[in-house]
Amino acid sequence: MSATDRRSGTEWLQLTLGGAIVCAMFYPAVWMVLSAFKTNREIFKHPFALPADWKWSNFAEAWDKGGLGGMYLNSLIVTAAAVTLTVCLATAAAFAFSRLEFPGRRWLYRLLLVGLLLPPPVVAIPLFAILRDLGLLNTLTALILAGTAWSLSLTIFILQGYFNSIRPDMEEAAMLEGANIWQIFRDISVPMVWPSMLTLAIVNTISIWNELMFALLFTVDDDKRTLPVGLIRFFGRYSTDYAMVFAALTITTLPILALYFLLQRHVIAGLSATAID
Amino acid sequence: MAGRNTGFQPISSGATNLLFVAPAMILFGLFVLWPLGSSVYYAFTSWSGYTKPEWVGLDNFRRAIFHDPVHIASYLHVTLYILGTLVLEVSFGLVMAVVLNSDRAGFSIMRGMFFSPMVLSMTAAGVLWAFVLDYRLGLLNSVLRGVGLDDWAQPWLSQPATALIAIMFVSGWRFSGFYMVIFFAALRRIPRSIYEAATLDGATPIKQFFTITLPLLRQQMLTCVLLAVTGGFAGFDLFFTMTNGGPFDATQVPATWIIRQGFDNNQLGYATAMTVILAVVVLIVAVVYLRVTERGNHVRY
Repeated sequence: MSATDRRSGTEWLQLTLGGAIVCAMFYPAVWMVLSAFKTNREIFKHPFALPADWKWSNFAEAWDKGGLGGMYLNSLIVTAAAVTLTVCLATAAAFAFSRLEFPGRRWLYRLLLVGLLLPPPVVAIPLFAILRDLGLLNTLTALILAGTAWSLSLTIFILQGYFNSIRPDMEEAAMLEGANIWQIFRDISVPMVWPSMLTLAIVNTISIWNELMFALLFTVDDDKRTLPVGLIRFFGRYSTDYAMVFAALTITTLPILALYFLLQRHVIAGLSATAID
Repeated sequence: MAGRNTGFQPISSGATNLLFVAPAMILFGLFVLWPLGSSVYYAFTSWSGYTKPEWVGLDNFRRAIFHDPVHIASYLHVTLYILGTLVLEVSFGLVMAVVLNSDRAGFSIMRGMFFSPMVLSMTAAGVLWAFVLDYRLGLLNSVLRGVGLDDWAQPWLSQPATALIAIMFVSGWRFSGFYMVIFFAALRRIPRSIYEAATLDGATPIKQFFTITLPLLRQQMLTCVLLAVTGGFAGFDLFFTMTNGGPFDATQVPATWIIRQGFDNNQLGYATAMTVILAVVVLIVAVVYLRVTERGNHVRY
């Protein structure tokens, strides 16, 4: 990168314009965190000021009244289970679609592509009936299985692209050595695409952690709620207690933001990989 | 767009290989394909969810297309919303990719901050922005009053004239970082020497943007527009969180209206018919779009 040492006029423009826009867009998040420490009256009277008195008690109140602990746990269970299932099943399937021949390979793959174009609202209602018939309504299992099923198409599609970009020389060599398919998959193919699996785990974590519609429709009880649904209910119930809603918002978003800034490179690489192809 | 290799040489063949795809296909079949198939049946029935579905022929479709003004209006809203997102998400993302394209200190952090709304849930974003746009204590109105523009303060989300526009801006806030990243990755692959040559020839940065950058980003533009359009039709979370279709159905989009009819009004058969219409519309739009743009090159760098 051979840039001159002095900043040119264009670069100053980039810096000021970019900086101003980014700060303006990031400011609501700062405002949210600051307001979470204020009293309701303070939020109204001094919206831009720092809190006169940092009220940590808002967080304890929101945590208890909103039952945020339970919702966090539910979100963690659903996300961990669904992401693990998705990435494992998708890796096996992508391996098969890229490396193996079997009856129905082409049309099974085409069926899978249907899931890429379909938006979830399209099947929400029949899926509700199916889950009810299976006795899974109002369980976390329903969210895990439905979430996994809906993540598979994209994950398989991208992983298959990775497999296709690597020549199967190693696998063929192992085949000649007399290894069976399962050994090849486990010892050669999985280590080969391991970084991509992690990237896709991150991408799926974000989408399943944030999933709203299924959680809204398929769970009823308070103790089955995940964070996105819980936050809406919380907002509906305490919408006039601004400080507490801000505290709840902060509790639910700040860890995600912190995690994102920690893993920024991987998150961005992963999310853009889902769009490039 | 399937990036499939032409020379497919399997390392093994046989029916036992099906075991590798079976778990994924079973889940996919059970929770995606089966509901998809059965929705075609439910769409022709009257069904409350508790009674047995009763065959009513084309009644649901007739009602959805000719006797449900809110349903028709929801497509108008979603079309406006998609047009808005093309400007506020895709175009704005492109401009920001150019603006934030620098190796200087600070730009990486700015790109990171610009992208950060993407990792928040739509509900968190929606609730946060419901506060930003609140009439009495909202951040936006506080800013307006602070600079003396008291008359400009509006109940943004609770009046039909501004609610949809407000949601478009929130959507732009959430998603423009995503498009910025896609364009940024592509910008990085354009050789710097092209710009240096253009500068020597006396081309201004603005001119360089239109004559060099835009043509070279054609493929990414096409992808992003497709994502914005198909994603826009399915938009639900933000609308549900911020207005739930209101005020007076001014922000009703197909997905929110389907859920309202299906689960609040217990007209699951009718709601399913509307989902079939939505699926058909999305598929037609996507296929037509891909056909029209297919004549373009498939050049990759």
